[in-house]
Amino acid sequence: MQREGSPWRGLGVVTQKELSDHLSSARMLVIQLLVVVTGVVIVLVSLQQIRDITAEDPFLLLRVFTRSGEQLSFVFVMTLLVPLLAIGLGFDLVNSEHNQRTLSRILSQPIYRDALLFGKFLAGLATIAISLTAMWMVVIGLALSALGVPPNGEELARAALMLVVTIAYAGVWLALAMLFSVLFRSPATAALCALGLWLFVSILWPLLSGHLVNVLFPPSATTADALLNSLSMHQAFRRLSPGALFAEIVTVLLDPAMRSTQQSQLAAMGLALVEPGSIPGAPLPLLESVLIIWPQMVGLIGGSIVLFVIGYVVFQRQEVRA
Amino acid sequence: MRCRLVALILLAFSVISTGGPAVSQDTSKPPEVKGLFLLTDYPAISVRPGTTATVSLRMQNYAMAPERLQISVSGVPQSWNATVVGGGQPIEAVLPATNASVSFELRLDIPKDAPMGATNLTVTAKGANTVTLPIVVTLVKDLPAKLTLTPALPELRGNSRSTFEYQLTIKNESGKRIVANLAATAPQNFDVSFTEQYGSQELNAVPLDAGQSKDVKLKVRPPNTIGVGTQKVTARATAEDAVVTAELGLEITGTPKIDLAGREGRLNATAVAGQETSVVVIVANTGTAAAEAVEMSGSGPSGWKVEAEPKVIDRIPPNENKEVTFKITPTGKAVAGDYVTSIRASARGESASQTFRVAVATSSQWGLIGMGIIAVALAVLFGAVMKFGRR
Repeated sequence: MQREGSPWRGLGVVTQKELSDHLSSARMLVIQLLVVVTGVVIVLVSLQQIRDITAEDPFLLLRVFTRSGEQLSFVFVMTLLVPLLAIGLGFDLVNSEHNQRTLSRILSQPIYRDALLFGKFLAGLATIAISLTAMWMVVIGLALSALGVPPNGEELARAALMLVVTIAYAGVWLALAMLFSVLFRSPATAALCALGLWLFVSILWPLLSGHLVNVLFPPSATTADALLNSLSMHQAFRRLSPGALFAEIVTVLLDPAMRSTQQSQLAAMGLALVEPGSIPGAPLPLLESVLIIWPQMVGLIGGSIVLFVIGYVVFQRQEVRA
Repeated sequence: MRCRLVALILLAFSVISTGGPAVSQDTSKPPEVKGLFLLTDYPAISVRPGTTATVSLRMQNYAMAPERLQISVSGVPQSWNATVVGGGQPIEAVLPATNASVSFELRLDIPKDAPMGATNLTVTAKGANTVTLPIVVTLVKDLPAKLTLTPALPELRGNSRSTFEYQLTIKNESGKRIVANLAATAPQNFDVSFTEQYGSQELNAVPLDAGQSKDVKLKVRPPNTIGVGTQKVTARATAEDAVVTAELGLEITGTPKIDLAGREGRLNATAVAGQETSVVVIVANTGTAAAEAVEMSGSGPSGWKVEAEPKVIDRIPPNENKEVTFKITPTGKAVAGDYVTSIRASARGESASQTFRVAVATSSQWGLIGMGIIAVALAVLFGAVMKFGRR
């Protein structure tokens, strides 16, 4: 039987309450501190390196994010830590309500489950967005004071877009953590599952996928085309991990000279993608850079929506009155 | 026999050392003439008053024993000053050896106010034999310096960027050494210079002995901006009061010069991968002649199509320009970025090329498809809310 009224009623209340809970919780504070401090330390190291070796660069601000000081670049650390932030926030969103027997109490209010789940997701995303934005501002501020070069609009737009993409990437992991918190009644199980998946996807899969491709499609890098084909095969497998998508997006966004997502892989092999007649190193306009990694961005946004929908459908079909 | 041979060799040496036409004579035979002779090449000369005339003399001894001869000059007017000079100093007597000659000269200082007319002088060499030589000195009012200037090829043809080189022969037809000054008058902004025939040294004057001729080169460089037409250059040689000119003509045919530029000077364009973009290029003829049948072509990276419209321009008059539209189609697989395409215009030996920077943008089609996918995901969410919502 369909009930009447808007399914969104009470969304604002739930979001507000969840957000205030998140922001005042000790767990959140620890996770945020971890992310912010790590990010700032890495940026400080890369800033020092930029000041030492960069003579002139039209996109100096963007180099702060990509230049790797002490082997770790800011982007790489974000790829690993943002999922941790999202999982830490999301693994007990729903099942803790079950366990504290507060779920039926909430739902006895004129609030639908829709509003509850949406509110929890939005509040989680907002929390992550707040902490990431704060860190982003700290990084930009540090870069400005350390480099002393005013950023141009293009740089700021690219950096802002990177922030948005980072939030979308956190959204995927938040939706996944929420799905697990709906599936498993025990928060520990949900947390372990989510963390296990994170470990597998972020660390094991990049190693495993390479070997898998080599077994399934033995590489025959005799011509440039074959090499590019095998590279795109590697990429296709690696893209099953949201971290790979995020890394590709950010690499292209933060380097205007990047014309293809394969360019950095080729560079790692000591090769360069030289198109006959093209002017190497010429920066692309922002829109062109976005068009290159648009499929990856669609993948991140669409993935988080689909994961949320699965969690939503499972949650709606659950018995909550136990 | 042996003594005779030595004598012959000695004789040969003496003949050679005296020089002159005797060298070509058969030296095995003694000359048939015998005696003492007082010789000169020109026994009658014309002299201007107020100058010094020099008469070359030679005392020749043919098969006679060496003999001392006293030299004297008679018939010299009072105001004249006649000196016999040999070996650079005044002499009184000569002593020619057997079959040898002694050269000396008679120097005549003629005062300015000497009356016109002929004067008969007699040079006498007095010894055991006495030899005389009459010399006629005619005083004339003026002996003009005379020059001729003959161009080998007086009319040359070339374009505005050629150097015109005229071969000129300048001849001194007077009886004395002169220094001829060279000059040329040409239209404005022409670059004119005289050089040696084989050499790059520029000249202003050439010294010429009497009767001598010399070849010099006149280089004329017209200014690059000169139009088609015939130009006149006058070469002039002056020496003392003689002036000689030669009229030289140069026909300038003119050349076309093609320049390519983008409209408003822009040399960049934007294009979308796989789609045609038009770029307007201005073909200008900055030369001095019309450019005929100008072929336009272009090339880009492999897989690109660069086509000109029109492909051939029939004629561009000088200082006019035509617009050509280039249709640039990047290959459909072009990665976004900046590329170089070059365009060329060529007209019979004249060509110009220009490179264009084409910024290729990828089609936004896939962006829309991505939007569609997100929209589908949102629709699924909405459908789920509709189906399972409000519990």
